[in-house]
Amino acid sequence: MTLEELSVLALQAGLKLTQDELQRLLPGVNRSRIQVAQLRDLMKEDQEPAGVFSAQKAQSR
Amino acid sequence: MTLNDLRYLSITEVAAGIRQKDFSSVELTKACLEQINAIDAKLHSFITVTADLALQQAEQADLELRSGKDRGSLHGVPIALKDLYATKAIRTTCHSAVLEHWMPDHDATTVTKLRDAGTILLGKLGMHEFAFGGPSVDAPFPAVNNPWNTAHIPGGSSSGSGAALAAGLCYGALGSDTGGSIRTPSSHCGVVGLKPTYGRVSRYGVIPLSWSLDHAGPMARSVEDCAILLQAIACYDAKDPASANVAVPDFRAGLKDGIKGIRVGVPRAHWFDENKGTDPQTETVFNEALQVLENLGAVVVEIDGLPFSIARKANQTILIAEAYAYHEKTLQSTPEKFGSSVRRRMLEGAFLSAADYITAQRARSELNEQIRANFSRVDVFTTPTAPRPPEAFESMDPNEQNLRPSFTNPFNLTGLPAISVPCGFTQGELPVGLQIVAQPFEESVALRVAYAFEQATEWHKRRPNI
Repeated sequence: MTLEELSVLALQAGLKLTQDELQRLLPGVNRSRIQVAQLRDLMKEDQEPAGVFSAQKAQSR
Repeated sequence: MTLNDLRYLSITEVAAGIRQKDFSSVELTKACLEQINAIDAKLHSFITVTADLALQQAEQADLELRSGKDRGSLHGVPIALKDLYATKAIRTTCHSAVLEHWMPDHDATTVTKLRDAGTILLGKLGMHEFAFGGPSVDAPFPAVNNPWNTAHIPGGSSSGSGAALAAGLCYGALGSDTGGSIRTPSSHCGVVGLKPTYGRVSRYGVIPLSWSLDHAGPMARSVEDCAILLQAIACYDAKDPASANVAVPDFRAGLKDGIKGIRVGVPRAHWFDENKGTDPQTETVFNEALQVLENLGAVVVEIDGLPFSIARKANQTILIAEAYAYHEKTLQSTPEKFGSSVRRRMLEGAFLSAADYITAQRARSELNEQIRANFSRVDVFTTPTAPRPPEAFESMDPNEQNLRPSFTNPFNLTGLPAISVPCGFTQGELPVGLQIVAQPFEESVALRVAYAFEQATEWHKRRPNI
């Protein structure tokens, strides 16, 4: 992701960030994206995500 | 008894001492408050000291005992809480300017349970801001120092809990653990910390970092003390959607049964060969700890084929996404209230897609299946708690820390109970912890192995010179 793309996404997310802040943020954002890409490559196609909604549990609150 | 005699007693010894009238809860509480006054300026482990409340609660505890009302092992015992546990009408800050003046109108369920058990609240403990990242330099409260060497980090995020216990300022504490935040400061400060099974202890009233990874749990100076604290706080709680409606056993019942024949899995291939971030001294101490377990009759089994390498990535992705979701409005409206490093890390969550989050949750399923499959071959897993000893503040790089292997992350993703117990020291006299992980809701097994190890060694008896 480039600095310009990050700037656009930040605005869409309702974040008011200075150029300096965006610059500092960029390496971490790109690192996160790389991490997710690595995870995606490791996944079996039929692997479902963790986390199941329980209607019973929601009722009991 | 002098202040120093009282300082490092165990919860069991304190309970006995109060009942035998060796000292009262008021005397004990005054001793703790004096120690906090004398020492804590060097450590910054407390954000808020609730001296008046503590003395009032101690008087009440003594009065109750005199009139025959005994609330059990924690009656009259001074404890402290990580400052993300909501305490009614007591400032709860999360070590952040965002909540610097927040007075909750409710108690966390765990706080209620500890009060009902008769504990005395000494105050609220320092932490990493919102339990995230590393020690903040721009938070409204100073970062906590390690009692073993104040130039070194105490580990986090439950840094105040680890430091206060190691310095003898309280007899028990609560921490919270999203990626290792109970176990790492326990390891770095030479104390014991237990992350229970996800759902075992209520998170109601514990300010979230990441709903699906957060665990509340006890920290203490001994395994038995941890068991006592867990007994008091474990329960089903309808106010916590993740709370598990399972029976709560007597966590001390099998503590002294020994570990002959217990199978201990060591995923060494992944954690020492694949990852390059493990400190050689930590590895040496860990190998010596394994030898102790074998001498006690445990059978060590080398495990490989587990996808531990994905755990750090999945944990970070889920954590950042959920943390951003929780703090989104504040990050949009008053971002300047967060410390700079926490703000930057949380903002990364704004740029993850829904598909990214789901991918991490799929990786979590994969990890979960493979780790649980190995429980047919072993009874517990064991690892060093942290890949490195506590670093000096001066040389610490939080960005680099986030890239290192983690021995704790996999067990937040899988929700398995995991305990850290002191297992040695580096040449620089900094503590190293041993992590023991058991099957879901088998905290008793983790406690039994940890207790056997603790009793066979002397590491838990060492005290920092502070």
